[in-house]
Amino acid sequence: MPVCLAQKPATAGTPDAALVSDFEAKVKQYLDFRQQQVGPPQKPTNNPGDIVAKQHERGNKLRVARAGAKQGEIFTPQIAAYFRRQIAASLAGAHGKEIRSSLAHAEPVKMELQINQSYPSNQPLQSTPPTLLLNLPNLPDGLEYRLLDRELVLRDTEGNVVVDYVPNALPESMK
Amino acid sequence: MRTCYSVLVYLCICVFSVTAEAQQLGVKLPLHSGSVRFAVIGDSGTGNKEQYEVAQELDRYRQAVKFDFVIMLGDNIYGGHSASDFKRKFEEPYKALLEAGVKFYASLGNHDDPNIERLYKPFNMNGQRYYTFKRGNVQFYALDSTYMDTQQLTWLEQNLRSSNALWKICYFHHPLYNDGKMHGPDLDLRNQLTPLLKSYGVNVVFSGHEHAYERIKPQNGIYYFIQGDSGKLERHDFHRRDEMQTSFDRDRTFMLVEIDGDNLYFQTVARSGETVDAGVLTRQSGPARAAAGR
Repeated sequence: MPVCLAQKPATAGTPDAALVSDFEAKVKQYLDFRQQQVGPPQKPTNNPGDIVAKQHERGNKLRVARAGAKQGEIFTPQIAAYFRRQIAASLAGAHGKEIRSSLAHAEPVKMELQINQSYPSNQPLQSTPPTLLLNLPNLPDGLEYRLLDRELVLRDTEGNVVVDYVPNALPESMK
Repeated sequence: MRTCYSVLVYLCICVFSVTAEAQQLGVKLPLHSGSVRFAVIGDSGTGNKEQYEVAQELDRYRQAVKFDFVIMLGDNIYGGHSASDFKRKFEEPYKALLEAGVKFYASLGNHDDPNIERLYKPFNMNGQRYYTFKRGNVQFYALDSTYMDTQQLTWLEQNLRSSNALWKICYFHHPLYNDGKMHGPDLDLRNQLTPLLKSYGVNVVFSGHEHAYERIKPQNGIYYFIQGDSGKLERHDFHRRDEMQTSFDRDRTFMLVEIDGDNLYFQTVARSGETVDAGVLTRQSGPARAAAGR
């Protein structure tokens, strides 16, 4: 595949591979929980009001079910440190200059982050450089990474809910 | 015999009226029988007066050009995404086109809400952030450039490889090349996409994001257009650089495209009806394509 991987993924049997496995297990656990709470994904419709209403309904169910959720439950300190290392390695790698340029043009969004909050649909999405995404563990459908200023958010796309985030995922120099 | 004659007369009248209308409007496309015709709009969803005026002009051209679909280069709905926003920023401005059966194929921009718009049937995304469709001998790939993850790159490679279409057209929001002052090119996206576009014979790329119109000189043999001004506009937006073929930043525009065999005809029309760019591009292939990229 002619895609430029900036860095090799974690090698099996290493401490980093164990962290990635741990992260993937937590993600799967979340998705199983989500499936129980809100059911299967929405289907396309002509009525945008229905889409928005169902998204709110799903988000609210998740917020109630995860009322006690805290930052760091998925991005534990060790996993968060792994993500910061991966991002720093991407920025220091062969494509670091291009990644920095893309980040500078990404229309950074500044807002106070809270677990379970919904991402306001009237705010633009900060684009995430693809080389950076290539160096992070893959996510299953229904979840995505989003940069918000310097934080890396794990977002539930079905319910539009912030599941967890890595504080200061981008280095201070990117501010 | 009489029926055949009547049909022939009817067809002649239709062709004549289309041609007369097209001439009156200043249509530069050849309008060949059996060609693939479509329109292009980008950064359209403001809901402001100018978007409606562009849409009106687009509908005038539809009546002459008879295109039956429109590709959208992202920022389809700015700001809120309530039902009334969809009405004001899409359904109302393009009402005449929608009623005429014109289909819209949206790609996602940074101002779009992927989880609402991909589920909105009139955008024909079928619940996906990225997707492909084919018209005649042209394969279209609508990509989500705000979030180009590994799955999307893998999907794109598989779908480019498996297509036997004569023309391959990718469209997505963030431009890989662009001389605008407001945003400029996305260099990391360029790094990741260019090897795929080159390896699998993509002919043309359309992008938005920069709120103006620009046609880039072929890069690696690929034709690039930026058309991000069907609603928003950034006046006096350009640095004049070598890679620029032509640009326009004085008014909102849309594009008309006709593909017939090995030729792609294009015409860029401003809100006023003025044609600001037009021409014909020849399909790249094999060694000629490699030469064009030098």
